[in-house]
Amino acid sequence: MKYLATVNDQTYTIELQPDGKLLVDGHEHEVNFLSLDEKAFYSLLVNNRSYEGLVREAEGQYEVLLWGALYNVKVMDEREQRLAQSSALFVPSGTEIAIRAPMPGLIVEVPVDAGQDVEAGETLVILESMKMQNELKAPRAGKVHAVHVKAGENVEQNKTLVTIT
Amino acid sequence: MVETTLIKKVLIANRGEIAVRIIQACRELGIETAAIYSEVDRTALHVRQADEAYLIGGPRPSESYLVIDKVLEAARRAGADAIHPGYGFLAERADFAQACLDEGLIFIGPRPHSIGMMGDKLAARETMRKAGVPLIPGTRPGLRDDEMLAVAEGEVGFPLMVKAAAGGGGKGIRIVHRLEDLPGALATARREAEAAFGDGTVYLEKLIEGAHHIEIQVLADQHGNTIHLGERECSIQRRHQKLLEECPSMFLEGDMRQRMGETAIRVAQAVDYLNAGTVEFLVDRDRNYYFLEMNTRIQVEHAVTEMVTGVDLVKEQIRIARGRRMGPTQESLTMKGWAVECRINAEDPYNQFMPSVGRISAIVAPTGPGIRVDSGVYDGYEITPYYDSMLAKLICWGESRGEALLRMRRALSEYRIMGVNTNIPFHQTLLDSHRFLAGSFDTSFVEQRFELERDNRDLHPEVAAIMATLVAHRQRQQAAQIVQPNERDTSNWKWVGRWERLHR
Repeated sequence: MKYLATVNDQTYTIELQPDGKLLVDGHEHEVNFLSLDEKAFYSLLVNNRSYEGLVREAEGQYEVLLWGALYNVKVMDEREQRLAQSSALFVPSGTEIAIRAPMPGLIVEVPVDAGQDVEAGETLVILESMKMQNELKAPRAGKVHAVHVKAGENVEQNKTLVTIT
Repeated sequence: MVETTLIKKVLIANRGEIAVRIIQACRELGIETAAIYSEVDRTALHVRQADEAYLIGGPRPSESYLVIDKVLEAARRAGADAIHPGYGFLAERADFAQACLDEGLIFIGPRPHSIGMMGDKLAARETMRKAGVPLIPGTRPGLRDDEMLAVAEGEVGFPLMVKAAAGGGGKGIRIVHRLEDLPGALATARREAEAAFGDGTVYLEKLIEGAHHIEIQVLADQHGNTIHLGERECSIQRRHQKLLEECPSMFLEGDMRQRMGETAIRVAQAVDYLNAGTVEFLVDRDRNYYFLEMNTRIQVEHAVTEMVTGVDLVKEQIRIARGRRMGPTQESLTMKGWAVECRINAEDPYNQFMPSVGRISAIVAPTGPGIRVDSGVYDGYEITPYYDSMLAKLICWGESRGEALLRMRRALSEYRIMGVNTNIPFHQTLLDSHRFLAGSFDTSFVEQRFELERDNRDLHPEVAAIMATLVAHRQRQQAAQIVQPNERDTSNWKWVGRWERLHR
């Protein structure tokens, strides 16, 4: 079985062979892998080097916590890889970006209006949560397509607040 | 002659790690504890650990932890004879302390008029001026916006800070460099202060640049003894939120500890202070120190002082409240070694420290020599958006600063928290910073000289890739087995699930 695992733009080809060997980009490693709690904790020996990590699946990606560092790993098998390549051709350009609430909270202020041009980094929404006021900023320049909330409103996590085109 | 009283049951008017800390102190003293909780805190650690727990209202602090009548009602129902306010919430409200006394309860903290004097920044400044304590230029609180705009340039001077009169913990503070930015900053600061303390009153204070934030712990008992327990270095801050604290401070030279300690005692005595308190100073580049404010409560970072002095401050608070003589004396007090505290917050250091909510899916705290963890959370605990984002405090002690910091490095790498983002990578990067290690930092260090790059810490991307792939493979195999239960297993890679079961 061959997988492609991507971490920080670096992709590793990881092959699990029927005889139990593991190959990373063609290099063979001796691997011993064990779940410690049937949940999130794993122990991994790679060529006798011991690693203990927490692994969690979130939105199709795997979060791996290793020695205090958190890695986001995207894992695809060959079939998924082919699918991803073919569908990549049909992604429309200049799509709408939705600014969503990263956490539940209270909308303090929405300093932009629909139809307004915004710069990258411009504050779109001020959301209060955990006693702090958090400024949600435009990830790129564009035009505010719609404002879905108003000041004083309570929002749930992931609610779309503002869309930019 | 001071009367000593017995405390049989303490109501803890707080939540989170400090409530747990107070429960621990009470339990060691053989005192029963009663917790209070809001509707979202039924599963909180302090509720689980206390002897009794009383529901007092809705999730918002203004519906529960900030409502004096509800807290007192819980104390009546519990039959408590004392109240410990912790920090935050009602801890620095003179009316709360007074209400406790009116109810016939012992308030484990200062006298109401001392809290009132320190809470009223104008009165505090005036009292300190008379006591000969050095002060930073600023205005009194409660001025109208136009009055503040009028004096900002001349009397106070830029850069300056807009601060909440009822403040503490960095909430409601804004730094302003130019006059034209002041009206906006005033509005934001008022809003934050209103939300955090129920009081939107603000004032201006000149910003001392390149300053160290150093505070002195004091203890005062009812027998007229007031002592200081040395300093804490709290210059590692972001948006005026302390992130890491040390005891002692590398920045103090010569007899500074003694001089600042004596000033802190003078500050405490000037307001007839009782119990544990902290006198905050700003120390400028030339090592002049200015009185900032006094926190009339136990501090978040009290643990570093406990590690170095060996004094259990929370137990001393209770002892003092009972009318007994405090344990340590100025002469008997010694400081041994070095302690560092990292505040572990649920926030994403890679995304402007945005708070993170969710369920803690796994948590393992570090252990071993010189390590202390004061935590309010556990595996499966749900972090809600209603309270501040601090999950736990990690405190490390060492014979020297070097040993304490190396120990902290190890402890941080062993602290495993999944399910929410934490600021652990921030602390790890900080502990790799040569400037920080060398002690060359001030209060602007984190915001101006500190760069958190994701790549710095990514030492094992390949191992992470292998681990994620093996987990993904295992999940696919399990899914396939459910769909095709009779298909014969031909791949040795089924061991990912099966081999394991054999070897358990």
